[in-house]
This record gives sequence, structure tokens and C-alpha cells, in this order.
Amino acid sequence: MTLLLLITLIRTAVAVPIEVQLHYVGAREDAAFLGVTQGLEEANLQGRFLGQRYVLEVERAASARPAAILAAIEEEALVALAGRHPDIPVFNLSSESDALRAKCLANLLHVISSREMKRDALAQWRKLHPDSKAQAQAWHPEFKKYSAEQLSKRFFKARGQAMDDGAWAGWAAVKLLSDSVARLGAAEPAKLLGYIRTRLAFDGQKGIDMSFRPNGQLRQPLLLVEGGTIAGEAPVKGVVDIEDLDSLGSSTCPQPDSQ
Amino acid sequence: MKAFFILVLITYVSAAAAAPTERVFVTNERGNTVSVISGRTLRVETTIAVGKQPRGIGLAPDGSALYVALGRENAIAVIDPKTLKVLRKIPSGDDPEAFGVHPNGNLYISNEDAAKASVIDPVSAKVIAEIPVGLEPEGVAISPDGKQVIVTSESTNMLHIIAVPEHKVVANILVGARPRAAVFARDGKTAYATSEIAGEVKRVDMVAHKVLNKVPLGDDKIKPKDVLLSKDETTLYVAGGRADQIIVLDAQTLQVKTRIPVGQRVWGLALTRDGRRLYCTNGVSNSVSVIDTATDKVIQTIAVGEAPWGVVIDD
Repeated sequence: MTLLLLITLIRTAVAVPIEVQLHYVGAREDAAFLGVTQGLEEANLQGRFLGQRYVLEVERAASARPAAILAAIEEEALVALAGRHPDIPVFNLSSESDALRAKCLANLLHVISSREMKRDALAQWRKLHPDSKAQAQAWHPEFKKYSAEQLSKRFFKARGQAMDDGAWAGWAAVKLLSDSVARLGAAEPAKLLGYIRTRLAFDGQKGIDMSFRPNGQLRQPLLLVEGGTIAGEAPVKGVVDIEDLDSLGSSTCPQPDSQ
Repeated sequence: MKAFFILVLITYVSAAAAAPTERVFVTNERGNTVSVISGRTLRVETTIAVGKQPRGIGLAPDGSALYVALGRENAIAVIDPKTLKVLRKIPSGDDPEAFGVHPNGNLYISNEDAAKASVIDPVSAKVIAEIPVGLEPEGVAISPDGKQVIVTSESTNMLHIIAVPEHKVVANILVGARPRAAVFARDGKTAYATSEIAGEVKRVDMVAHKVLNKVPLGDDKIKPKDVLLSKDETTLYVAGGRADQIIVLDAQTLQVKTRIPVGQRVWGLALTRDGRRLYCTNGVSNSVSVIDTATDKVIQTIAVGEAPWGVVIDD
């Protein structure tokens, strides 16, 4: 009887639900917000199996210490926001600024690709296709490989518009957060930040596991898009090793990183 | 005399139903066809137009029917493995990708876009159950005793364990990114599963529902998909995806024994009943490789349709 009670207690302890508070800062009209909303739905689908529930607060945060902050705001405001919450992971969903990456803020994580990454992707591409008019993008609805098609399909069905770079960044931020919470079994912000910066191997539905660089940038493949179709992927095969995500953009910080 | 003739006929017909065709069937996802390979000559006998986006493929327990999941038709095609005629198409739920055939004949189907698994009786075409699982369910494995079913959800990173006949999810095992396929050992107590993006294979305790051990399969190019046990269950074969190789591992320690170079983007695997030949589908090369398991060497490469996906052997 005692043993039975003990087993029941242990089982209950394992199933203690975690509520994960996320805070979004930015315009509701931003594509990034739609991505966040999609990510939240999927995080809760996963959470059903693990006893984890995700709650999104927009603009005014009810809780003082959310598990993470998702931000689609301009550079200066983003730096200030990250500075006000030094031990909470802050996700940049919209600024492509190279200068922002160079600041190497410990809690600022850039899910959206940088301008430099796009320039590098194009430079690799033009080595093989010198006359190409392709643009580099992080996401495109015509991208079908690696289950990208499934993600674009369910995003369009639920949100009524095509997934773009910002929407992907919003979705990816919540997905990598929920993946980390699931594996950690905890949602304490400092723990999450440490895990995300050092142990993340995240499936962003672009065919390769992704992690963060010392400067806070998410390593990721980019797409070369020409005339509304996918011309290629970067790292560009035949120019660099296709697994070498660090061939796109800077990886390091000017000063030795304390992480 | 007449009675004797009927008896002979019945004996003949039932013997015919039981005799395997020794054919190897391959789904061609973009060719919308099934390639039929003779297991004796290792040549393509014929190609069957089957429907849109054929992926998962399986045989009825008695070999009397071949099933093919048609993703873009939301249907399972039923084919006579002898006459090679498409007999009928039964509704499967949204976007069927892979399925397993239960010892009782029912099909357990992963509905990729609907985050659920469907259980269908292919004879009556009735839906027996619909079970909510994680996002992008794919691999289905059924224990030999039929009591447990594993469904992998690629985007939720879980092995969902479904109890039969209750059709309830009894456990969810969180694994490395993008779990794609699983297989049970004969005793049903152990299973193996691959994670494509994590590039790993794991051995799972199916009594405690826990990962026992796991290994990374090598560099980033290895994106494992199908996994199979050798006949004596000492060896594990893993299709290495864009690494263009089959990885051969010790089934206990998961140490890599050898690597067999095959065609590009290898996904599907099937082993002959006698365990001597392994077939794999090379999705980008549009071919099937045949491997002699005694030497771990490719003995034949067979051109098939566009983007071969799954393979099953009627032997």
C-alpha cells in the first residue's frame, strides 16, 4: 500500500505541469508575430504529451520574469531591452543589422539571418552563376525539401499568408525554446539561456541541425531565390562544404567571449 | 469426380495464395509508380501506375495484398501482388506517408499533415481509430505480438507508444531531432529508431519505454532514415540518407562495423526472409541497390522510377 502510494506520488511528480510564459514585444501586424503564434500552437501540441503549457503575453507583460522575450523591434530598442533583462534570453526576430551582432550581447539571440550572411550566400552563389539575379533569403514558400513544405503548408493554412523570413524567425524562436524546455524539463530563463547557447541542436526544417554562434547568431542555411523559385541553397555545393554554416557571416566576437 | 476436381482446385488456389511471388516492390514518389523487381533475376519486370505520391508500402500478413500509401490522394492503393492489378483505393485519412501492417491485418497509418495516426481495416475500408500524435508523424513500427505500435513524430521529436487494442498513447519518448523510422526486435522488448537531423540511432527499452543507448553515426552528412535488424538480430542496418551509404552496426553496442556505399539519398530498406539480401532505395539516383549481407557488398544496382522511397519483398 505504501509502495503503491509512493509510486503514485512519483508519477504525479513527473507529470507536474510546467507553464512557460513567453513575452512578445513588437507589432501584431509583423510577420514575426504570426510566426510566433504558429510556433506557440505547435509548442502546445508538443506540450500536451509532456505536461507543458506555453502562454504568450503581448506588449504588456503580466509576469515580471518570462522564460524568454521575443522581439520584433528596431536595433536600439532591442539593445535596451536586452540590457534591462540580462538573465532572460531575448530573441531578435527582425533586425538584420551586422553591427548588432558585433555587440555580442550575452542574452541577445538573433534568429533572423544577418545582412552579412546574405551577402556571403550571394557571393558563394555568384562564383558558380556570375550573372545570377538571385536574392538570398532565410525562407521561401517555394522551398520544399526537408519538410519545409509541411511547415509552409500548415503556416499558410492557419495564418492565411505565406511564410517569409520574419515569420520563419518567429516560428523558429518558439520551436527552439519549446525543444529546449522539453529536453531540460525546466523553463527557468537563465538555465534556458545556458542550454540554448551551448547545447542546442535544433531542427528548423531546413535540413540541418542549428546552433548559436558566440555572437548570438543562429547558424542556418539560406536560400537563393530567383524569379520566385528556389535557384539554390547556401552554403553552396561546389564552392564550400554544404555543412559549413559558418561560411555564411561572422562567427566570432571582437573580444574573447566570456560564455 | 466433380467433388475431387473442386477439391483439387481449392488446394491449387489456396496453394497459389500462399506461394510468395519473390518480387520486390518499390514505390517511386515522383514517378507515381511501383517498380516490380524479380527477386530471382534482379531485373525490373514491370512498372505499375499506382497514383499520386506513393511512399509507404507493405504486404498483408498472408501476402495476398500489397498496400501503397498515396500521399496526394489521401488513399491506400490495394494491389494484387500476383496479377499486379490495382484492385481498389481505400480512404486513409489526410496525407498518408508511412504505415505498418499489424499481424491481424489492420493498417496503422501516419497522417503527416494531420498530426494523427489512423487505424484502418483494409478489407472493410473502415476507420477503426484515429490517434492524435505529434507534428509530422512518419515512421510506424508494430511489435511482433501486435500489442505496441511506435509512431515517430518528426517535428515534435518523439516516439509515441500506442497500446493495442486500446489505441491509447501510453508513453512519449523524447529523442534527437526528426525521428523518422523504428523497428522492433523479435521479442518485442527492444526497438531501434533513427533521428535524421540529430544523425543518430538509438536502442529503446520497450518495457520501461526508455532510451538504452544511442550513437551519432558520423559526420553531418549522415541523415539516417530506415533501420532494420539482420535475421540473427546481431546486426543493425541503417539507411544513411545523403551520406549515400548503409551503416552496419552491432545491434547491442551500436558500434559501427562497416559502411556500404550505395546510391544517392538512401532511405528505404528491406531484407529477404532468409536474411541474405538487403535492398535499399536511392531517391536521388533513381535506383535500388541489392546487397549481399554475407560480404556487405552491392551485387546489383537496378534503375527504377523517379525518387524511389519504400521497398517491400514478397518472399
